[in-house]
Amino acid sequence: MDIKSFATLLDPAVLFFFLGIFAASVRSNLEIPAPIAKFLSLYLLMAIGIKGGVALSVSGLHVQMLVGLGIALFMAFLVPLYTFPLLRRKLDGFNAAAIAATYGSVSAVTFIAAGQFLDNQGIEYGGYMAVALVIMEAPAVIMAVALAAMTRARLAKQDAGATANIGKSSGEFSLKNILHESFTDGAILLLMGSLLIGVIVGKDGYQVMKPFTGDLFKGLLAFFLLEMGILVARRIREMKGVGPFLIAFAFCIPVLNAVIVITLSQLAGLSAGDTLMLAVLAASASYIVVPAVVRVAIPEANPGLYFGMALALTFPFNVVLGIPLYFQLIQLL
Amino acid sequence: MRRLQPKKLLTLITSRAIEKMIIEALRKRGVGGFTVVNASGAGASGIQSGMLDSDSNILIYVILSEARLVTLLDDFDDMMNRSYRIKVVVTDISILPRKIAATSKNSVA
Repeated sequence: MDIKSFATLLDPAVLFFFLGIFAASVRSNLEIPAPIAKFLSLYLLMAIGIKGGVALSVSGLHVQMLVGLGIALFMAFLVPLYTFPLLRRKLDGFNAAAIAATYGSVSAVTFIAAGQFLDNQGIEYGGYMAVALVIMEAPAVIMAVALAAMTRARLAKQDAGATANIGKSSGEFSLKNILHESFTDGAILLLMGSLLIGVIVGKDGYQVMKPFTGDLFKGLLAFFLLEMGILVARRIREMKGVGPFLIAFAFCIPVLNAVIVITLSQLAGLSAGDTLMLAVLAASASYIVVPAVVRVAIPEANPGLYFGMALALTFPFNVVLGIPLYFQLIQLL
Repeated sequence: MRRLQPKKLLTLITSRAIEKMIIEALRKRGVGGFTVVNASGAGASGIQSGMLDSDSNILIYVILSEARLVTLLDDFDDMMNRSYRIKVVVTDISILPRKIAATSKNSVA
């Protein structure tokens, strides 16, 4: 194993993440005001969007890009499909569907951390990865809502008296609603808009934005990860009731997803940078967009489970260990 | 001079994710005025830090008549039956009405 990959644990951004965890663990009053945290998350999305757009304007459309996006879409459907029956062994249909949606979707911050990892290694990745991030957002939620609707229908059969209420949640939250929520979510809209602006302005236009979206990026990412560290540590304390099955799920499923993507990407001949970004997307779990949609679409599910697992377990695992581990696997295969 | 008018204050504590749904329910019942306040705290779903949209609570305040309140409570009861996590608090209040004229006289009648 190449220890150099894990030396990125000493990256300032990752160290600030640890600092956040430490601060919350010792119950420090260190806190990032919510509007600043919101600004930081939007800034990061804008920065990666415009960077991806500029890269796309340089590379243009190519076959590798379509293959990469195909793998991304395939994973977005596959993950909820195979994790749902697995989760059903221990959980009811609603919680299983909600967790399957969370893990089938993606985390933008993990994606950004992986991009930073590649930058540190001097490895490039395709600008279209920002598109992959966007297209992986919705399919898992759509499937999960369908699975939850099936659970409702099954329960309705068992308890005919409850039928009046049971049909409504799925009916109110249609496919159109899910797609609308997923693609008009502020973060996704900003990311896609920035990507488009990057494509339009190209490399020359980017020079104007670079002092803001390029030079400040690393410092602001570190600041944002400090906040994420605080959030993670607070959430971890809440995870005491989660059993060993779900804890194992939160750590093993990301690795399995990454291995599937790495295998497919290697077969398709994608570059190491693109492979890592796709692997990280498949390995990550959504803790912003999907939990917000699932709260409305599958209200029966417990947010403490699907949100807590994604934020407190899978996110830190990916940022600290997962990214260098997947990179090592790419080098080995 | 304005006179105090008896009203109901409806306070809803819920997740930010459900805000749109609740406001839609209010509008359907003809309620056009409400106040939304960001909130953080903790409950059955754990900490609501207020840092992420998916991790934020809101307080919705609505001042309304008892007649309108009753119809809205039916809507919220229905939502809660469907497992939506909403805390509904109703308080008797008195307000100084915006309009002086007939409303003040009627209110004490």
